Amino acid sequence: MNQIQLRELESKCIQEEYPFCSAACPIHVDVRAFMASLAKGDTRGARRVLDRTMPFPEILGRICDQPCRSQCKRVEIDAPLAIGRLEQFCVGATNTVIKLPKLPSKGGKFAILGAGLSGMTAALDLSRKGRPATIFTSSASPGGSLQQLEESILPGKVFAHAQEMLAHYGVEIQTSINMNQENITALVHEYDAVYCDLDDLDQSLLPFAPNTVDAITLATDQAGCFAGGGKTAEGSFSPVYQAEQGRRAALSIERFIQNVSMTAQREKEGACATRMYTSIEGIAPTAEITPGDEPAGYTAEEAKNEAGRCIQCECLECVKQCVYLQEYKEYPKPWIRKIFNSQTIVQGTRAANKMINACSLCGQCSVICPNDFPVAEVCRSSRVDLVETGHMPPSPHEFALEDMEFSLSDYCALVRHQPGTTRSSYVFYPGCQLSGSNPEAVKQTYAFLRDTLGGGVGLLLGCCGIPAHWAGRDQLFAETMEAFTKDVERLGNPTVITACTSCLSVFKEFVPNMNTVSLWNILDKVDLPTQTTKPARALTLHDPCTTREQSELRASVRSLCEKLKIEVVEHDFTGETTDCCGYGGLMQYANRKLGEKAVARKAERSELDGLAYCAMCRDNLAAHGRPVAHLLDYLFATTEDDPLSRTNPGYSRRHENRARLKSDLLANLWQEETIERPAHTAIKIQLNAEVEQLLNNRLILLEDLQKVIHHAENSGSYLLNPNNGHRLAKYRPIRVTYWVKYEPIEEGFLVHNGYSHRMILPEDQK
Amino acid sequence: MSQFSFVEATDWQCAACNQPLEATKVQVTYLKSAFHVELMTCPKCGFTLIPEDLAVGKMLEVEQLLEDK
Ligand code: SF4
Ligand code: SF4
Ligand code: SF4
Ligand SMILES: [Zn+2]
Repeated sequence: MNQIQLRELESKCIQEEYPFCSAACPIHVDVRAFMASLAKGDTRGARRVLDRTMPFPEILGRICDQPCRSQCKRVEIDAPLAIGRLEQFCVGATNTVIKLPKLPSKGGKFAILGAGLSGMTAALDLSRKGRPATIFTSSASPGGSLQQLEESILPGKVFAHAQEMLAHYGVEIQTSINMNQENITALVHEYDAVYCDLDDLDQSLLPFAPNTVDAITLATDQAGCFAGGGKTAEGSFSPVYQAEQGRRAALSIERFIQNVSMTAQREKEGACATRMYTSIEGIAPTAEITPGDEPAGYTAEEAKNEAGRCIQCECLECVKQCVYLQEYKEYPKPWIRKIFNSQTIVQGTRAANKMINACSLCGQCSVICPNDFPVAEVCRSSRVDLVETGHMPPSPHEFALEDMEFSLSDYCALVRHQPGTTRSSYVFYPGCQLSGSNPEAVKQTYAFLRDTLGGGVGLLLGCCGIPAHWAGRDQLFAETMEAFTKDVERLGNPTVITACTSCLSVFKEFVPNMNTVSLWNILDKVDLPTQTTKPARALTLHDPCTTREQSELRASVRSLCEKLKIEVVEHDFTGETTDCCGYGGLMQYANRKLGEKAVARKAERSELDGLAYCAMCRDNLAAHGRPVAHLLDYLFATTEDDPLSRTNPGYSRRHENRARLKSDLLANLWQEETIERPAHTAIKIQLNAEVEQLLNNRLILLEDLQKVIHHAENSGSYLLNPNNGHRLAKYRPIRVTYWVKYEPIEEGFLVHNGYSHRMILPEDQK
Repeated sequence: MSQFSFVEATDWQCAACNQPLEATKVQVTYLKSAFHVELMTCPKCGFTLIPEDLAVGKMLEVEQLLEDK
């Protein structure tokens, strides 16, 4: 990622855009913050918001013509917020809370001709910036046409207050000046720049051609002479427009004096468009609160309630759904900057590594985001970058990659034509997770496919390589894909039937020319097995995150449920917006706790027990404690027990199941023997459920325990506790040292505990 | 971690050498870093004991820090 790509991506996230009210406000008052304070009853806090942006809150707060109001999002629900009225309440109930700082003088001298609100604003802004300004007016006091307003609307004291404020910043005010042609010309010559306030100047005396005022810069045909205020383009008098004009003029004058571009990046000055997106789903309409006593305006209570109607417009649509973004307390704009900073760091801690590796790459955010912000893509390419630059930490993905290696090893992988045949029209590809989770389902499905589909149905056991893809190991992934493609070629390019939606998504993306089809699609087209069962109660359906873009597949699953007469109740986050179960992107390995939160979110989308059709979703949901069945359980009655009560097999059993599935199938269908597994796998191990769970969480497999005990018992090298006869042994097969506390029992060993570390002990250092 | 001592009384003994463990200064390494720490080891064969709380506590913490360097 370079700076330009960073900017481009940042701009996709519109969370930091103005809310609708502030965008429509010509001086961009932070209405949202103003409302938040008022809603808390913090009127001074609300005044602070006004003081920060409004040039003269005592004036503008009383008479603003609130062009923001019609743009308030709440208009789409019931009625817009009474923004102007609430400002009146606020300035009526408070005095100035903060005075903005005055910068040290930067020199120059500036004349403001006319003392209307725009002239006063220009003078105020200039002097705050350290540019000494003098106001000249023919009137006896400043205020321009505002002075004609009634005392009940704009009390006279506000002008005195404005004068005090101007004096505070060092603005000089010269009143009752004879503003004739001669004097004006002299002023234009004498000062470094002048601003003509059209609200308080005789139009016939202007020192420039009136139709030459530039709408963006307020410059005129007379260099150094700016003009603004007066009537709007629509011909009306708008107080907030006056303020905006004065502010714009001050900015122009500053640019003019500094001799920089007069026009660059001024799009957001004045009322502007906003790309903000705010969902109003589920917000109940409430009537606008109007003052009980109209002329007196809001009471404190009424103001608080009206401000409480503000929905605090923002986006955060992705964050609302994603546990990962919630965990890291970020929305994508600052999130991506963190990743960029971490990636470009030369020395020191790569602070975003954990964050980069924790996303499930599920793509939900991109579907939800109004601009399709590609969080998953950024994460995955950042992982590739970490791998390629040698900065990928070993621990987040190693376990999953070794698991994948095992699935692809001779102990588990298999490529065969249907027994007794030499060609295949189809090949069944159950995938590593279904083979690990439910080998019985694989056997029965394969038998059914053999019986139902003609032309030979081969079998391919392995792993599609998605863990490598998720881990950013592009080379390993490419090699895996290539080996898989060769296997399919050797079978004569049959149609590949995948049971796993992740496998299918990978094949579709990376070998688009291969004939692939989802098992669900096939099953939906043939006569179903005769021995199907169905749950006694309605279930909710959990789509796996890798079906986000596979609508046809999702439809097949629903059609199958209907044929099986399973009563399915859909929840709100299925299909395109479905959640990840925590396995996606290897989230649960990189951050186990977060993986648990992810599956909890998925489970809690519905009160009902679940039906899954991804083995990983099923097992993670089961581990979370939710009764959940796999669709194959009902199609093939794979278990005597209620499919809803099957527990999560855990990593160890998956590992063993895969190896056993191959040896069983080879023996039963092809009458062949599998290659023998290493001697340590013969060791018999017992452990209670609690230890099993602990070891599962610590990513320690049964086979790791066997390796350690095998090593200890053969070498005699272990520690012994003479008090109870327990043994403590360690072994480092490759990059992790495993420790096992155990005791010999009649048949094998009883394991009490296990843990691991990656640090290398002196005896293992070479 | 480099100055730390993780020495504590233990019931574990080296089975092969039939020896109680003793506090020893050893060097453990990870990625490109080395640390000198005091641990319980067998004085004869050098078998190093890493107790569970050290492995899943401080040691893990340091490993994670080093992985992000
Ligand atoms: S959905 Fe998320 S990424 Fe998209 S604009 Fe909103 S906050 Fe930003
Ligand atoms: S609801 Fe609140 S934040 Fe949204 S546009 Fe209206 S005033 Fe602004
Ligand atoms: S976990 Fe899914 S929804 Fe959340 S950021 Fe990653 S890809 Fe987006
Ligand atoms: Zn010893």
